[in-house]
Order: sequence, then C-alpha cells, then structure tokens
Amino acid sequence: MRSDTILNDAARGSSDPRQRRPIPAWVATTALLLPTYGWLTLAVLLPLLTMFVFSFMSATPMGKTPIVFTLKHYRAFIDQPYLINIAWTSLVIGFWTTLLCAVFGFLAAVALARATVGRMRETLLVLLLLPFWTNGLVRVFSWTMVLRENGFLDGVVHMLLPDIGSVSFLYTRYAIVLGLVHGYLPYMILTCYIALSTIDDAIIEAAASLGARWWTILLRILLPLAAPGLISGAVLTFVPVIGSFMEPRILGGKVGVTMGTVIEDQFTQAFNWPLGAALSFTLLAVVLAIFATFSGVLRRGTTA
Amino acid sequence: MRQLGRIYLLAILFFLYTPILVMMAMGFNESQLYELPFRFSTRWYVALMDNQQLLKAGMNSIIIAVITAVIATCLGTMASIALSRRTFRGKSLLQLLLLPPIAIPWLITGTAMLVFFYWSGIGRGMHALLIGHVALAIPYVVLVVGTGFNTIRADLEEAAMSLGSTPIHAFFAVTLPLLFPSILGAALFAFAVSLDQFVISYFLATPGYSTLPVQIYSAIRKGFTPEINAISTLLLLGSMAAILIFARFAKPGDVSDKR
Amino acid sequence: MTNVNVNAVAKTYGTTPVLTDISTDFPEGSFTSLLGPSGSGKTTLLRIIAGFIRPDEGIVSIGGRDVTHVPVWGRNIGMMFQSYALFPHMTIAQNVAFGLGRRGIHGAEARKQVDAALEMVRLPGFADRMPKQLSGGQQQRVALARAMVIKPSVLLLDEPLSALDRRLRQEMQVELLRIQRETGLTTIFVTHDQEEALTLSDKVAILDKGRIVQIGDPETVYEKPLTRFAAEFLGDSNFLRGKVESGTVRLADGTVVHVTGALPADGAQATLAVRPEKMFVVKDTSPGNRLTARITTVIYAGQALSYILETADGMQVKLFAQNRDGNLLKQGETVVLGWSADHTVAVAD
Repeated sequence: MRSDTILNDAARGSSDPRQRRPIPAWVATTALLLPTYGWLTLAVLLPLLTMFVFSFMSATPMGKTPIVFTLKHYRAFIDQPYLINIAWTSLVIGFWTTLLCAVFGFLAAVALARATVGRMRETLLVLLLLPFWTNGLVRVFSWTMVLRENGFLDGVVHMLLPDIGSVSFLYTRYAIVLGLVHGYLPYMILTCYIALSTIDDAIIEAAASLGARWWTILLRILLPLAAPGLISGAVLTFVPVIGSFMEPRILGGKVGVTMGTVIEDQFTQAFNWPLGAALSFTLLAVVLAIFATFSGVLRRGTTA
Repeated sequence: MRQLGRIYLLAILFFLYTPILVMMAMGFNESQLYELPFRFSTRWYVALMDNQQLLKAGMNSIIIAVITAVIATCLGTMASIALSRRTFRGKSLLQLLLLPPIAIPWLITGTAMLVFFYWSGIGRGMHALLIGHVALAIPYVVLVVGTGFNTIRADLEEAAMSLGSTPIHAFFAVTLPLLFPSILGAALFAFAVSLDQFVISYFLATPGYSTLPVQIYSAIRKGFTPEINAISTLLLLGSMAAILIFARFAKPGDVSDKR
Repeated sequence: MTNVNVNAVAKTYGTTPVLTDISTDFPEGSFTSLLGPSGSGKTTLLRIIAGFIRPDEGIVSIGGRDVTHVPVWGRNIGMMFQSYALFPHMTIAQNVAFGLGRRGIHGAEARKQVDAALEMVRLPGFADRMPKQLSGGQQQRVALARAMVIKPSVLLLDEPLSALDRRLRQEMQVELLRIQRETGLTTIFVTHDQEEALTLSDKVAILDKGRIVQIGDPETVYEKPLTRFAAEFLGDSNFLRGKVESGTVRLADGTVVHVTGALPADGAQATLAVRPEKMFVVKDTSPGNRLTARITTVIYAGQALSYILETADGMQVKLFAQNRDGNLLKQGETVVLGWSADHTVAVAD
C-alpha cells in the first residue's frame, strides 16, 4: 500500500516538478550564508569601518568638544618622534621572535617528520600543538614564575652553581621575545610539518642514493620543499607579534613599550581613540601589505 | 640521527611545558611570594573558593563559551554547507571574508569593536562579548566542518538520490550523520576559542561583567597571589580537555575516507 | 522493462559545449556501453539520463515518459558509482534497504528483499557487516544489490569496475552480465575500457567531443568503423591515404588498394582503415591488396606478436599475428603484407 503512494508521488512529480523543489537554489544558498556573514559584518567589518572613520576625527566624540576631520593622527610618527623608536622596538621584537620560531620550529618539524612514526608521531604532534590552544595570557604569566628573581630558573641555576648571582631577566626584551617564541612556536611547527609531511620518502632516498649527506638533504631538499610552510608560519607569527600588547606588558615591565601597548593605552588610559584608531590602521596597513606580499604562498600553504 | 631528533623534540616539549608546570606547581605551594623550598598546600584553592570575583568571572567565561559554541556551530555549519556543497558566484570572496577575524591582530579587531559598539549604542558587557566571541569562532567552525565535508564523498548524496531521496532527505540521512563528529569537534573548538579569548574580552568587558582572562590580567598587573595560579591551572586544564576531545572527534590525521 | 530515449540533448558549461545534439535510443533490455576518452561527454550523458544534470536542450524519456524535468529521485533508476558510494555509517543490510525505505517498504518485507538481493550478488550472510569490512569487489556487489533491489526501470553504471584490479574486474563483468541477462534490465554503462565495452554490451556508442560518432553492435562498430576516430579509439588501425580511382584507391607510392565497401567519388582523397590483425605476410605474388614494408620493431608478447613496419616512403604500418609456430620475423627483414578488400574500410577523417 505505502509503496503505491510513493510511486504515485513520483508520478505526480513528473507532471508538476515544481511542486517538488519549492525553493530555488539561490534562496537556499543565501539563507545558509546570511546568518554567518551578517554576524561577521556586524562584529568585524562595520567596526573596522567605524574605526577607520574615527581615525580622522580631531578628538574622541564624547562630551562637547566640536569634532572636525583631520589627518593629523596619521602624522603622529612625524609629530611625535618617540613613536618611531617604539615602532622600531616592535619590529625588532617581531623579527627575533619570527627568526627563533622559524629555526627551532623547522628543526622540530623535520625531527617529527623524519625521526618518529605512527602513534608516537601522533602523540608528539598533539603534545607540541596543545599549548597553542591554551590561554596565551596564562602562559605568559607562567613565565614570570620561571624568570623572576628567586624564581624557578634561579632555583635551578643555584642548585648547579651556588656562587653565581641571580640570572633573572624578567622585565627585559629577552623575556618578551622568549614569551612570544613560547606562544607561537607550536604554530610554526604545525605549518612546517604540514609542508614536510607531503614530501615523498622516495625523494629523500633518491637524494641519499645520489650521495647527499644529511646536511645536504636538510638544506638542499627539506628546506626548499618546506619553504611554503616556513613562510606561512613566519607571516602568521610576525603579524600577531607586532600587534601584541599583553606579552610586553607582563614580561617587559617598564621596557615593554611597543606599538601594541601604545595603542592599548590610547583606548584604555589616554582616551585618545582617534590616535589609537590611526595607529591601529597604520598597523593594519603593514599587516595587509605582508599578507598581500605572501598571499600566493599562504594560499598554497593553507590548502595543501 | 633518529635519536638526536627525538632528543631535540623532548627538549622542545620541555621548553613548552616547563613554565606551565611551574605555574601549576606554584598553585600548590604554601608561600604567598612563590618562594622555595616547595611546601605542598591547598590553601590557595581554598582561598579561591571564597574569591567571589574570580568565581563569578569564571562562571561568566563558561557561560559565554557555551553560548558561543552553540551559536557559532549552528551558523558556521550552515555557511559551511553552502561553501562546500554549492556553487555560486563570489564564493572565493566569501571565503576570503572569513579570514579577518583570524588573521588581523585581535588588538585591532578588539579596539574596532570597542569603537563601533560604543558609537552604535550596542555598548559593552555580556552581549558585546558574545557578538565578538561568536565572530571569532565562526571561521574556525567553517574550517573544521569544511574539512569534515571534504572527507565525505559527494557521490554518497548522489547515490541516496538515485535510490529515491530528495536532496534534503539525502542530507539528513547520509551527510549529517557522517558530518556529526566534525560538527561536535567544531563546537568544542569554538568553546576553547571563547574560553581562552582575552584581547577582545578585555576591550568589551565592563567593571561589572568580565571574564576570567580579563580578571587574571588585571590581577597580574595589580600584583598577584597564588590564587591566580590556582584558577589559571583550572582554566588551562579546561581548555586542554576541550582540545583533546576535539582531536579525538575530528581525527585530524585520519584521511582514510578521503577520495 | 523500459527503453530509454534521448532526443536532441545538448549541454554547455559556460561557453564549452559538452554535449551537442545527442539523439539515440537504448532499446528495452539492451546493454549499451558509452565509450570515449575523458572529456568526450560520456559521463555527462549518463548523468543527464540519471537526472543529476539538466540538459540545456532536448528531451530524455524513460519508458515513453518524458522525464526531462523529473529530478533524480523521481526517476526510479538504479545507479552504480566508480567509488561504490556505499553509506559508510550503515550496515550492508541498511545500505541495501535504503531505497526500499524510500519506497515505503520496511520491516520483514524489506528484510526478505534485501536477503534476496544479497543472494543474487552471492553475498548471503553479509547483511550485518559494515562496508569498511568488505573488499572492493564485495563492496561493488553490495552496490549492485542496492541498485537492483528497488527494481529500477533502468540501470546506469558509471565506470563501476575501474577501481577493481584486473581479475576482480573480469569476475564482476561476468556477474554483471549474468544479472543483466536474468533481469532483462535496460543498462547503460560508461567506460573507457574498450575491451570491457566489447565483452559486455550488445550496443556500443563511441563518443567524441560531445557527439556520438558511431553506435551499433560491437561487431559492426569494430569491423566497419565510420570515422578515423572510431577506428583508432576502438582497437588499433592502420590508415592508408590515397586518391579514389574507378572503385579503387591509389596510394602516394602508386600502390592500388581494392575496397569492397562504398568509396567517395572518383578523384577525391580517401582514408582507408585496416586492422593490424587483418594483415598477414604473403609469399606469392597473387593478386589482392599488397604492401611492401621493412620490419623496424618486433614486440614479443607470448601468445601474440606485434610488428611495426615502415614502407619505402616512410609510412608506418602495424601488424598483429598469433604466435602459431614460434617463428618470428626478424627486424630489418622486408616482407610483403596482404589483406582482403573486405577488411578495408573507407573512414571519414
């Protein structure tokens, strides 16, 4: 009985197919996409647009001060030369963090891809990546336990060499870089590992059969083949690092003044939103320029 | 060579986990000034139980993370269906638009939200935090669910249709059950993203309504006690658990069903 | 049981025509292979018949019913996919019962039909296993059972055997043919394997660049190819070019070739196709088609021998021979090749 109804349905479908697909495809597609993109518009795109407008205002539009539109905040680097030094500090910190992450991360990825197999490799990979998905703030905070005077580091050093003074370097730029490397190393390992894991073992064997020693294989084969992963890892490290503010604050103390902390101050302390907005957009321009430069590599790196 | 590689990996793990373990250990140390020698004590966890401010912030964090996970997973999965299974014009542009929340430094996104929410009258507080957290989590959901879609062959739905399924029935009978682990993984991922989010929360929190990371930050800057270590330990264990369960569900290494 | 008719079907993607003006009939109970290189449109044609793709123009009818605007799920087709497309989260029984469920058949009745279908593909007792636990060949049998259990009006096969290794493939060919003959189901089979097409089908359609260049029973298509493409794609061919002269063709070097079939008008250029296995080495000088050539390559393949030869003016000729006496022709030897006028076919370029 029931099968008959279905067959009748199918037969009716043939006479009037439109009844069977009441929703045109584009309506369904739009309905599926609208909530997500509506949300992103409200939460990300409109805010960026608003901030762009704010960056041209003469003062924060609160209170009675008349607002005029001006370019003066974009001239801040000329008007306030100390900003140049701060920007330079940010770039230096970004450079060293990225370099250290690249060296140690690439080697770790090579070790992971070539020296481990199976379940051991899976476990190590999860362990290496796990810290990346824990709270960055807490991880930075944990370094203060290690680096402070009479902290863990001092304790270990004094156990081995009792006569030496404190080796604490909390509240220095080294501490900032150390904390940032700790934060972004897992990511670099991941991008390099993804690139390396696609390399066919036969390529390594072919190189070895041609007489290449391990350092030749490392530098002439693995490094170039992992370059896309290395570059996307470097970009995705450098970009957040030059925008960081809580790492310099917590680990750098008084020396931890960077673009990030200056921007934060404009919004939370100095209340000069237009200046903060202009500095943010200057930073965003740098970020976008970096993404544009490496967009080809990044696209390959993420789809591989 | 092989041995050297493994020793190097252990050294990296040592570097990654030492500060975290030290921080956790200090939560169980008697001394308020983190002084050694280590004397085991649970007094900071007891003190934490009385710290209403931290507990409330912790509760806020969990509530926000749960709501974020639910909303972001629903919206992101819908978008992922369209992006993975349908063809339409402007698709690559839409995929590109998923990147800003991930790629632009959160400092910029966060301050921009602050400016816009202030200017538009949305204001700050719980609803503002939710708007921000969901926006940050959606791209991850789309990516995770999209990866799940890639492991499901499109011809399974075609096979179902050839057997008499309408596209909607084929989706619910075939694709959705196969996609379920990815969706669950995406929800856990969104939960972890929200739970760990500090920068955005920092700009959108109010004195009366903040999340745990915001409270921890202000505590660190004001001078802190091992209570912070105690709550931080709980926070880390929470997000690690979420990510490990995620890894179990999404099986990032499992591509055996791939075409 | 029903026939399938395709009338003036055309499909264009963007500006690329994939199918141009396809009209053909798949008679009731026939087994037709769609054969062609990748990009020839054979899969598109199958998917149009299945209903996954809507043609821009033309009409598809199944059993006399116009189904052009009927979606896949209303067409009552059985389909097999290259990847088997078994639902990985369902047992074998649930897979086979899926289509029955869509037709409102549940419970004991469904169970009975599922068991019968699994019996038919010789997999009784596999009902409660998961697809992953089965080998590729077994999975494809399940796919066949799943397609057949719904008693479809037409069976559509999209290269279902190409993922199997050689031995399993031959086994499945026999199975497929047996079941098709038993049920008398109209079957359309997409393949790029010419041997498979010739073995299985009672009709072969050769597609090239979105057109059916020739359709007919395997023997006719093989023995009397209509175009150079058909002759080349199905099997191997030697091509001789020359000018038509009073019922014969004169090649560039003056050799006269006799042809039984039709030829273009006198004075026109003609291309003649001769199968390499239809040629043989002749010792006498009796009349008939003759060609002198020197052996350049000898390929020894056990039961069969292939030679590549070159004529004085540089034309390459292939010769296939059975290894009857173990005596091979030597490289560098010059021989005279003969073949029958019946086996010489004028083809369109």
